[in-house]
Amino acid sequence: MLLAFDWTQLAQQIVIGLASGGVWATLAVALVVIYRSTGVINFAQGEMAMFSTFIAWSLVHHGFSYWGAFFLTLAISFAGGVAIERAVIRPVERAPVLTVVIVTLGLFFVVNGAARWIWSPETRSLPNAFSTRPIDVAGVAFSISDLGTIAVSLGAVALLWVFFRFTKLGLASRAAAVNPEATRLVGVRVSWMLALGWGLAAAMGAVSGMLTAPALASFDQNLMQPILLYAFAGAVLGGIDSPLGAVIGSLLLGVLVNLLGTYVDWVGSELRLPVALAVILGVLLIRPAGLFGRPVEQRV
Amino acid sequence: MKRALYLLVGALGALVLATAATGAASETGVTSSQVLIGGTTPLSGNASAYQSVAKGAAAYFRWVNAHGGVNKRKIKYVYKDDGYDPSKTADKTRELVQQDKVFAIFNSLGTEQNLATRAYLNALKIPQLFVASGATTFGKDYKQYPWTMGYQPNYRAEGTIYGRYVAKTNPKARIGVLYQNDDYGKDLLAGLRNGLGKKAKLIKSKQSYDVTDDQVQSQVARLKAAKVNTVMLFATPKFAIQTFVYAQKLGWKPRVYVNAVSSAANIMGLATAGTSKKQTEGSISLVFLKDPTDPKWKQDPGTRLYRSIMKKYKGGNPNDVYAVYGMSVAHTFVAALKKAGKNPTRASIMRAATSLNVKNDPFLLPGMTVHTSKTDHFPLDQAKLQRYHNGHWVSFGGLFRVR
Amino acid sequence: MGRRALGIALWVAVVAVILVAYAFAPRLVSDFHSRDLAEAGIFFIAIVGLNLLTGYTGQISLGHGALMAVGGYTTAALMVHEHWRDVWTIPLAGLTAGVVGFLIGLPALRLSGLYLAMATFAFAVAMPSLLRKFSGLTGGGQGLRMLEDAPLQITGLSGTVTIFGHSMTQNHFLYYLAWGIGLVGFLIAWLIVRSRVGRTFRAVRDSEVAATSAGINLAWTKTFAFAISGVYAGVAGGLLATQNQIVNPLTFTFLLSIVLLVGTVVGGLGSLPGMVVGAFFVEYLPDVSTHVSTAPGVPDFVYGAAIIVVMILLPTGVGGLLKRVARPLTTRLYLRP
Repeated sequence: MLLAFDWTQLAQQIVIGLASGGVWATLAVALVVIYRSTGVINFAQGEMAMFSTFIAWSLVHHGFSYWGAFFLTLAISFAGGVAIERAVIRPVERAPVLTVVIVTLGLFFVVNGAARWIWSPETRSLPNAFSTRPIDVAGVAFSISDLGTIAVSLGAVALLWVFFRFTKLGLASRAAAVNPEATRLVGVRVSWMLALGWGLAAAMGAVSGMLTAPALASFDQNLMQPILLYAFAGAVLGGIDSPLGAVIGSLLLGVLVNLLGTYVDWVGSELRLPVALAVILGVLLIRPAGLFGRPVEQRV
Repeated sequence: MKRALYLLVGALGALVLATAATGAASETGVTSSQVLIGGTTPLSGNASAYQSVAKGAAAYFRWVNAHGGVNKRKIKYVYKDDGYDPSKTADKTRELVQQDKVFAIFNSLGTEQNLATRAYLNALKIPQLFVASGATTFGKDYKQYPWTMGYQPNYRAEGTIYGRYVAKTNPKARIGVLYQNDDYGKDLLAGLRNGLGKKAKLIKSKQSYDVTDDQVQSQVARLKAAKVNTVMLFATPKFAIQTFVYAQKLGWKPRVYVNAVSSAANIMGLATAGTSKKQTEGSISLVFLKDPTDPKWKQDPGTRLYRSIMKKYKGGNPNDVYAVYGMSVAHTFVAALKKAGKNPTRASIMRAATSLNVKNDPFLLPGMTVHTSKTDHFPLDQAKLQRYHNGHWVSFGGLFRVR
Repeated sequence: MGRRALGIALWVAVVAVILVAYAFAPRLVSDFHSRDLAEAGIFFIAIVGLNLLTGYTGQISLGHGALMAVGGYTTAALMVHEHWRDVWTIPLAGLTAGVVGFLIGLPALRLSGLYLAMATFAFAVAMPSLLRKFSGLTGGGQGLRMLEDAPLQITGLSGTVTIFGHSMTQNHFLYYLAWGIGLVGFLIAWLIVRSRVGRTFRAVRDSEVAATSAGINLAWTKTFAFAISGVYAGVAGGLLATQNQIVNPLTFTFLLSIVLLVGTVVGGLGSLPGMVVGAFFVEYLPDVSTHVSTAPGVPDFVYGAAIIVVMILLPTGVGGLLKRVARPLTTRLYLRP
């Protein structure tokens, strides 16, 4: 029986799971960044990433080199994130959390609608940052871009760790999220810390979009919607305040979803997401703050 | 069940007749200068790319109106947003019928969306014309729903063609199917089985995906693992392109049958650019429209007319093959309206729609006839096979019946 | 005596105005338009319930659209499989959704804030897939179409409905049904809010730690809040199914949960009267957005922009505004000399 089992297929599905999880991880990190620096879940993060992808496409289409377009898009997205925070989030900074959540929901439609209006709904493609040449190891195929995507996520996690832990700006940003009042007293301009958080998240989102589009072989305005779902799930699984957790959670989720879809017939293609979400819920009930999250303690 | 429908027909029919009997006994939605028709289409949400079906048709009607209209009447075509939600479709269609008092429902988009309103419209004897959906039921179930008609070649018939072709040309194939797990994909699959007949066991693997999935790499890998050498690609463009790309990544080059929805030249172009000419070489598909992104139609008068109408009457993005479809269906509606006589009624336009024989549609393949009869509610049931060679589609064989 | 009588007179006047508006609103609009008003009533019911959970008990739910699905499909399934009349299914629709709401509330015992929101989010996201999978009951991707499969169970199939000898169009009937239930639901919610249960809800919202110290059973309170808001959502879902005579997975996507939450927050968390405005806002905004322009993307853009603008101008919703405006009136009325 052991010999009849297709081990190559298992290994291939795991590798594919890691590849798709790696794509989700890039957006999951952006979600963690925004949550950690502003305490808000940004429902529009995926659409902002999609918008950045279109900007990158436009730049490439107008003759920019790939890397030129890449970094210019990063810069534009950072500025865009800051601008959005100043324009739309700042007025509701002191409002209840749900108000801000609703604003991000409104932003979802605004950004999506803007992308549909500015660029026609054709299917397009974006070049890949990494080589897509297939590599075969013992019958299991993957490509450099799969590895590259995961590497980028981990690299971002490392950079964020350094930033939040060791730089003045990063520390101020964390303080602003945790205790805005006290932070203001110390002289930090809390408002601008939030803007910084939005800018960073938007930039990370742009990276996500520019990696996702080639990984999924084509893109249009709907590109990031399924990704947002999986990224949320992965981030929650890993712990919404842990960038590393978001990456690992996303990778695990990718493998889980693929293995379920491949080996559990009853799950098929209709139930792979619900079952995966149920698994996450199960994990949360055991570890309410996610795998790597910091548990919130309450003493009564 | 039937009794209840007759009850509804009786009561509501009387209501309709009562409101329609306004002096000159003209039909609802028809005045001396205008015919009002309406439909639903997704104008918002993530299916909103399909609105070009409505917008292409609207542009065509504007052109017809600018050239005198039909029997001295202009066609006013109103389309409302249902966000691809069948509950909203039911609501907006009722609004078109009860509030706007349209002559007929035309070109509403979506399978579930049109199914939601079919019983209502048929009970009220309101034409549900040229439903924008490839589901077979809209043409097949005319005995129960005589006021409903589809338009495009239906999915089941398309799948049957592919099945027959494989059975004939490659009887030892190992077939794998990637299909969307909704009516569209399942209809194509059912057709494939039907076309293969006794050879249905050539299907070695069936992999489905959900339209909300992000990618199908896992499914493609499973097809390869089942040692499939012929892939039936019953998927929408995003996933069709992915199939080629992921197959190449796995070092696999099966013969691919691409369903018509995903076969537009620009889609295949993206697939080729993302892989290689070799990877897409030999793919097979059906075609019945003149694809505006296919260079072979660039100088064609029909395509030029299409482009000029799109430009002048602001029909949207001219590279969108859905807009071509919209113009074709509008062209057929105009033909039916002409045939319905100087004072069209709902009954007369249904009679016209079930006796069509339109040969000069500029947007369909040359030689195609839009043909219907009392027992044939499939207006478009012809197509050509085409093979992808060196980065272009080349049609082969002649026009044949897609049944 | 003067002040007290004035207070009572004010309330009587308010109730009278509401009842008159309820009775005569359909006359002010076209017959078909009563349907849109009815749909606003359906949203009203759902967001009153959601407000009890989110505004008064402080639990975020991103899954109330899925609870509406439970109610809607209960109605449809009872009509199609068990041949129940549409209106009689409504209580059961509410009950079933209440039970499901209770079950969703159970994770609330372990999860807090964001993670609870994610659990409800997961439920909402999974609902269409679940509906498609169990197709024997739900009709799968095609859903259930009552006009085809249960026409005799539809009230007003012939176009008119007669109640107590009084005859009205089906559209008017739907309006009176929805808003009639809405007013009753509002009254019940108002009573809950003013009762001890309501105070318990608010205690949990304001500080779980303090509430527990005061002896409040968090578990019971949270699950009850989920259950009762589920009942409201289920009733709304059943009414929606009754009105459209169809249920389909595409109606109950995550978008519906978002719409309900937007309606609740725009109406004002912790304010029941604000829910009327919230309901009308989410009912009419899509149409308004499409009227601005049908160019690709513009309806969505306008929709989102309207939500953002309203939230910026009224961060505590219409209810917050109402409270600020009404406070000088009510405090003066109830001040003891």
